[in-house]
Amino acid sequence: MVPFGTDETISRIVADYSDMLLRLACTRLQSTDDAEDAVQDVFLRLLTARPVFRDQEHEKAWLIRTTLQRASDIRRRAEQRNIPLEDAAEPAAPESPGGELRAAVRALPEMYGAVIHLHYYEGYSIREIAKLLGLPAATVGTRLARGRERLRQMLKEDA
Amino acid sequence: MMNQEDYRKAFDQLSFSADFQERTADLLQQRARELEKERSNMTISKIKKIAVLAAACVALLAVSVSAAMLWMTPAQVAQEHNQPLLAEAFKGPDAIEINETVESGDFSITLLGLVSGRNLDTLNQDLEKDHTYSVLALRRLDGTPLENETFDFGSYTMTPLVAGCSPVAVNNWTLDAFAQGFAKDGVYYYLLDTASIEMFADRTVYMAFYEGFAPNNNIFTVAGDGSISFAADFTGVHALFTLPLDPAKADRAAADAFVASTGMDGWTNERSDPEGDWDIKLQETEDGEEITLRPKDEGGEAPKEVAPLPKGGAPALMPG
Repeated sequence: MVPFGTDETISRIVADYSDMLLRLACTRLQSTDDAEDAVQDVFLRLLTARPVFRDQEHEKAWLIRTTLQRASDIRRRAEQRNIPLEDAAEPAAPESPGGELRAAVRALPEMYGAVIHLHYYEGYSIREIAKLLGLPAATVGTRLARGRERLRQMLKEDA
Repeated sequence: MMNQEDYRKAFDQLSFSADFQERTADLLQQRARELEKERSNMTISKIKKIAVLAAACVALLAVSVSAAMLWMTPAQVAQEHNQPLLAEAFKGPDAIEINETVESGDFSITLLGLVSGRNLDTLNQDLEKDHTYSVLALRRLDGTPLENETFDFGSYTMTPLVAGCSPVAVNNWTLDAFAQGFAKDGVYYYLLDTASIEMFADRTVYMAFYEGFAPNNNIFTVAGDGSISFAADFTGVHALFTLPLDPAKADRAAADAFVASTGMDGWTNERSDPEGDWDIKLQETEDGEEITLRPKDEGGEAPKEVAPLPKGGAPALMPG
């Protein structure tokens, strides 16, 4: 693939992936500003690390994994600095329409949130998610089932 | 009842800056030009140095290439990734030089070294946690050069493991690893960034490199004393290095808390199925798609979970 760094490839990647990565980052981050910072960092990392991708799927997998990592870093940093751990463990109050569901997704353990989002929002199959995250399909399947169960319990409790 | 449509609606309601894409593309294009300029300056600088040193090197060239010249140093690898802070750290007193080589399959695998510290990553200077950065070099035994375009980076895993901890609890995935690689002069270099592994330093800490993905009992065996080795019948390329960490840097409480936080501290050497404990079936139905998860060892019993999926892919969420 053409290395990331030309104006053309930068425009393509930003246009192709921004929406997906911003929403993915919001499975870990409440603030959309933080999500924008996380995704910008990921694109900058792509520019400086210059990884070589086999194909577009490899490129997408790298961006997804790096976004999840960066979003988690930002969240942990915020939790360490500002929020007592007991509060951080609780779902945030709904901040807008759909906020209750988004807060529940953010309250899921990291290992479940990404799988739930990639499946429910992006429509990826278990095997596709396994490839994107570099996990065995069975692991993705169990995470999806357990994450969904936890989500169901949280939403039921809030109802 | 909530379904994929509700889920999508909740996340579609998020509102981001209208100029995010334009602003980000401008930022990246500006940074790309700066990087290009830096590289050009480095090239000019290198040419000048080469001219000055050329005469002095003539005598050295007559001597056979030293072993040290076979590999880039960890500092050079970090520099290639535009990580000057990390490059300096690899030259500093906290860096651990290893330079151990294992030959496996068609490859020679050399763990060059590692360093742990905080704020060493140019892009993550604001992080309030320590990371460990490890560098590994891979080359073909027959001398065929490894190249970026052909080397299958995604088929191999480089991960820390800890004796006494389940390989599924302490590994790349739980340590939030970020692996990068590049080929240079026929050698492929891995730079692995993980959460710091120093908290485990009072136990045997390994760095494993192997052909495959997440650790499982087809790849690893855990002995009664907690030590970890590759399964006797694992045929993929593999190497296991023991890391000379300073036990004084261990933090047993933090290590135990970390393992507990993963919720995955179980392990058995007995194999059920190469894919894991669950049998997964995806089946198209008139209403959409069904996921069936059935424990592998309960093949004849009722499915553990069956979830209807609306057309379009994702299963329904069924609160209450």
